[in-house]
Amino acid sequence: MEQVQLTLTVNGTRYSRAVEPRCLLSDFIRHDLGLTGTHVGCEHGVCGMCTVLIDGQTARTCLTFAVQVDGAEITTVEALGTPAKLHPLQQAFWEKHGLQCGYCTPAMLLTAVELLSNNPNPTRSEIGEAMSANLCRCTGYQTIVDAVESAAAAMKGEAR
Amino acid sequence: MKPAPFQYVRASSIDDALAGLAGHGDDAKVLAGGQSLIALMNLRLVRPAVLVDINRLSDIAYIRQENGTLAIGALTRQSAVESSDVIARLCPLMAEAIRFVAHRPIRNRGTVGGNLAHADPTSELPAVAVALGATFVARSQEGQRRIAADDFFVAPLSTALASNELLTEVRVPVWPAGQGWSFMEVSPRAGDYALVGVAATLRAADGVCQSGRLVYSGVGPRPIRVAKAEQALVGCSSGEATFREVAEIAAGQVEPSSDFHATGDYRRDLVRALTRRALMVALDRCQKGA
Amino acid sequence: MSAPAVKDHPIHRRWIGQSMKRVEDPRLLTGRGKYIDDIVVPNMAHAAVLRSPHAHARIKKIDASKARVLPGVLLVLTGAEAVEQTGPLPCFANPPVAQYCIAVDRVRHVGETVAAVVAESRYIAEDAVDRIEVEYEPLPVVVNPGDASTSKGDAVLHPDRGANNIAHQRTLTFGSYDEDMRSVDVIVRRKVRWPRSGAQPMETVGAIASYDEGTRKFTIYANTSMYNYVGWLMAVSLKVPAHKLNIVPTIAGGSFGSKIFTHKVLVLAATLARACGRPVKYVEDRLDNMTSCDNHGSDRIYELELGLKRDGTMLAFGMKVIDDYGAYLQFGVGHHGNAAAQLTGPYRIKSARIELTAVFTNKCQQGAYRGFGSEVNNFALERIVDAAADELGISPVEIRRKNFIQPEQFPYKIPTGNVYDSGNYGAVLDKALEMADYDGWRSRQADARKQGRYIGIGLASCQERSVFSSTEFWFWNHEPGFALTSSPESVNIKIDPTGKAFVTLYSPFWGNSPETMATQIVAEQLTIDPSDIEITYADTDQGLMGTGPGGSRYTVMIAGAIAGAATDIKRKLFKIAGHFLEASEQDLELRDGRVSVRGTDRGMTIPEIALQAYYFRLSLPDDCNSGLDARFTYDHPYTTQPNADRTDLGVFYPIMGHMCHIPIVEIDIETGQLTYLKYVAVHDCGTVVNPMTLAGHVRGGTVQGIGSTMYEHFYYDEQGQLVTANFADYLIPTLKEAPPNIEVGHVVTPSPFTEYGIKGGGEGGRMGVPPALASAVEDALRPFGVKIDTLPITPMKIRDMIRAAQQRKG
Repeated sequence: MEQVQLTLTVNGTRYSRAVEPRCLLSDFIRHDLGLTGTHVGCEHGVCGMCTVLIDGQTARTCLTFAVQVDGAEITTVEALGTPAKLHPLQQAFWEKHGLQCGYCTPAMLLTAVELLSNNPNPTRSEIGEAMSANLCRCTGYQTIVDAVESAAAAMKGEAR
Repeated sequence: MKPAPFQYVRASSIDDALAGLAGHGDDAKVLAGGQSLIALMNLRLVRPAVLVDINRLSDIAYIRQENGTLAIGALTRQSAVESSDVIARLCPLMAEAIRFVAHRPIRNRGTVGGNLAHADPTSELPAVAVALGATFVARSQEGQRRIAADDFFVAPLSTALASNELLTEVRVPVWPAGQGWSFMEVSPRAGDYALVGVAATLRAADGVCQSGRLVYSGVGPRPIRVAKAEQALVGCSSGEATFREVAEIAAGQVEPSSDFHATGDYRRDLVRALTRRALMVALDRCQKGA
Repeated sequence: MSAPAVKDHPIHRRWIGQSMKRVEDPRLLTGRGKYIDDIVVPNMAHAAVLRSPHAHARIKKIDASKARVLPGVLLVLTGAEAVEQTGPLPCFANPPVAQYCIAVDRVRHVGETVAAVVAESRYIAEDAVDRIEVEYEPLPVVVNPGDASTSKGDAVLHPDRGANNIAHQRTLTFGSYDEDMRSVDVIVRRKVRWPRSGAQPMETVGAIASYDEGTRKFTIYANTSMYNYVGWLMAVSLKVPAHKLNIVPTIAGGSFGSKIFTHKVLVLAATLARACGRPVKYVEDRLDNMTSCDNHGSDRIYELELGLKRDGTMLAFGMKVIDDYGAYLQFGVGHHGNAAAQLTGPYRIKSARIELTAVFTNKCQQGAYRGFGSEVNNFALERIVDAAADELGISPVEIRRKNFIQPEQFPYKIPTGNVYDSGNYGAVLDKALEMADYDGWRSRQADARKQGRYIGIGLASCQERSVFSSTEFWFWNHEPGFALTSSPESVNIKIDPTGKAFVTLYSPFWGNSPETMATQIVAEQLTIDPSDIEITYADTDQGLMGTGPGGSRYTVMIAGAIAGAATDIKRKLFKIAGHFLEASEQDLELRDGRVSVRGTDRGMTIPEIALQAYYFRLSLPDDCNSGLDARFTYDHPYTTQPNADRTDLGVFYPIMGHMCHIPIVEIDIETGQLTYLKYVAVHDCGTVVNPMTLAGHVRGGTVQGIGSTMYEHFYYDEQGQLVTANFADYLIPTLKEAPPNIEVGHVVTPSPFTEYGIKGGGEGGRMGVPPALASAVEDALRPFGVKIDTLPITPMKIRDMIRAAQQRKG
């Protein structure tokens, strides 16, 4: 099948690739770019595991063709931090036990990034509203809300 | 679950897009947000031979007030509607309804036009469009035409659009002062397709209902407007007792089918409950001058 | 084996009991965990499967010619072709049920694999799957478990097993059941229905298999467990010697039992790799997983009876249960073995009877799902206890309290023969009632009813057994078959020359916290810092026996294994240090990573001893060899054989936790929707290694239990089509469906038989939620006389019941 030229920025790095039009963005990120922090759960847009930020907004990469994001800026979990230097959200998830198997964690983190960039001071209800976009089968969600609440406070410079 | 192969046409202008649709007829589908289409393609339930990608057509992404009409470009992202001050002021029913559409990441990519053209009978925006008497603007290589909301939604997942037509704009009247509104729905989980939804408007003054609209999703092959229930409002005292009767009429009028998620009887129960509750909220907003 | 000696539990603990941040997390938080689909093997090809559209059919003909010629396709394999190289899959039933990684001549459920394709990409593989043409001869479909006993002819799924679809039928009677039932004042009867739901972790099952022609050996990466327990059974399926198969574990994105032994996927991937000559990755997509997975749970119809005295004293509990196992019997009827572990719950019931009929139907087979059949028994028992409370006019709290096994009665043998090691059920109940402000809410409930609001207070007191023994897999069989009695866990600990501890685990990470548990326990045992401990996972080439997580067993078992290995290491540390310090070993103590002479400041740190141990043989005592490491295989601490006629199943699940859940809900009677006003979950899992991670299992298990109770159902229609076969229709709870605040309480009644008195808690809330919520809904709708006997309790069903009740009245 005919390939289409695609240029985009992922975590600050520019990539130029030829891809099949039907190549899902999830597969492009994971297999073409080798960034496997973005996970795949259902491939029909319900679970949210495949969430990244496209131009700063959350999106489900299983419901996006790579060719649609030509020229866009993608942020995946790999951009947030490293074990040596965790993002405050990652630190908070760690402290509050906001993960067990870790499969939904990248999606939850990026969803929290979007939330806090629009609303640095969310209530627990607002946090819950945002985070309900993604399924988690392990935690029961409560400690995920705790983690985002804690990170929001930390990111505003308050001690908690 | 990977989609079947397709030919990809990236439209850089509306004319491009129209040429793509005209050239391929029934084999082509429009790719806007893709939030409904791509899921179906991944499941291989649909296999369009050609996709015409219209995501570059920023010309048709806008929210504009043109005198007494609100014009929304079809490519406007649902999340832009959600955060728009203009929509909040000039079409609060849509502002309320849009929050029920799936989840935020879907709304970031999904478009107003795409959602309407997809015509899922449980979707929120089609019910809102019918409640507001919206007008749809469709373009093809032959020209442009306007389609009334009442004529636009034909059957589940099927509209009056021809295969060579592109929906470019949705037009709704600017919100009249003193009109109350409410959008409510019941779905199996937060963010799921609704079992039943109601788009309600109400005008009332001095304790008497003057007019109202009651349009339901999930009870038929398209949004269902229950004129008999609307008529039962006119001239009656605004309040719980009237709304309870109107709700009963609405529940009796609809003919919802049964499927795995809900029986017809349950859908009627939901029509009954949601109608009364939505009218109470609409009345409250009406009285507060919105 | 008689009851083991009661263990001494040291009181002063540095690491056990700490809510330490998890060792596993840094790599998971940063997207650097390596799940199966993240792994790339050079020259890897990709597989996809053709799933049967029919629930029951003969495969007449497969034409793969159009698929084979598609560019990028390497191989199309049918069942008839595969069976030349690969035999039946492992099966824990006796007699076994033949199941193949690709159906050979017949499909028995929608979604069963009919053919497999290997191609350069998953995309191409799926294109090729579309081009395979299959001619089927449809056979009669059996979906109603009640029909199974009368199925005949072509409706029989496994004709070699018998003339109908009964997979197994047996009645077991424990104690003087008939006599007890004759002596009671009241027999309460109830029918309950527990339909199948399933684990559905966010990650599906996958494997990457390669066959090395040079070594004639398979290597399979997979997210399975039990590779170091029974992994060699897959070599048998693949018809290679057991030492020509190496299974390498990956971390798993959730399991909840569903990845306990994922042989279908591994054997398929390996078969394809051998057939096409390249490494093959097969990762289920969500449709593959939902229709043909290893995680459909119990699917039961119960007729229950409970015999009581008029004062509410329970005497005897009996059941007729039909369990719809689906098309195959992967774990035999082990799910009923499991239920027998805590059949009579926390109550002093004297006798019991189980009339079990397991049937085959044209559905995906059952696998292991969090509770493995015990959570269903909890539901059945608690529902009939509530029914008895209603009938006798006794409060649900008092009927439970008066029948609880008392603290001084432990270890307590229940009628089935299993033993409960310890417990304090009254304390758990009291704590839950207090945390829930039970009396306060009863008062609020009464006020609310006057305002036309329907608040319900639920209560369930349930057992949470932990650490299964292998006997539960076979004691139900008429012929035991492979009557295994081992279910151990191993560990290897090496202290390196610099004093760092390398700990090797033989079982995988599922989202439980094996690395953190091992770290805390090793740190405690060796008095070293967690940051000096490195945890790795061994493949089957290196592997010692490891039964793995499941049945809430891992923490208890790894604690025992670590204690065993650490004892050996401590012995050598003391021997060497004693030699250098010229002190007797009795005068030495280990504290803060240093062996010192008690009462003096003379000592050697672990790194100092280690350096000597590795490099200075001639300075060591004569009978010491170089090095500092130990391995230990820890067996189940308390297992006994069942007796011959199965009136006593022996001890097989004695480490017994307990929970009390009190949900307080409000029901909107017009829509049937439910909101949580409060949720209290008190758990007694003995000594808790990490309270934070245990609370995670309680909460996560609670929400998963809410899924089975309110939302999830693998629903098959009359044609055997799985109606809820995707995530839009199979309703896993989102954050909004979960109680916003699950208040977790702990009571600690240590086990007398385990290291530190730990009991397992991994199955968590799921064991108790269903009866607790059912009772809450019933309580809320008491004015309507509604009874909850079936799941899921959807808003629509609630509305239907209210509507029916209102019509009866008016």
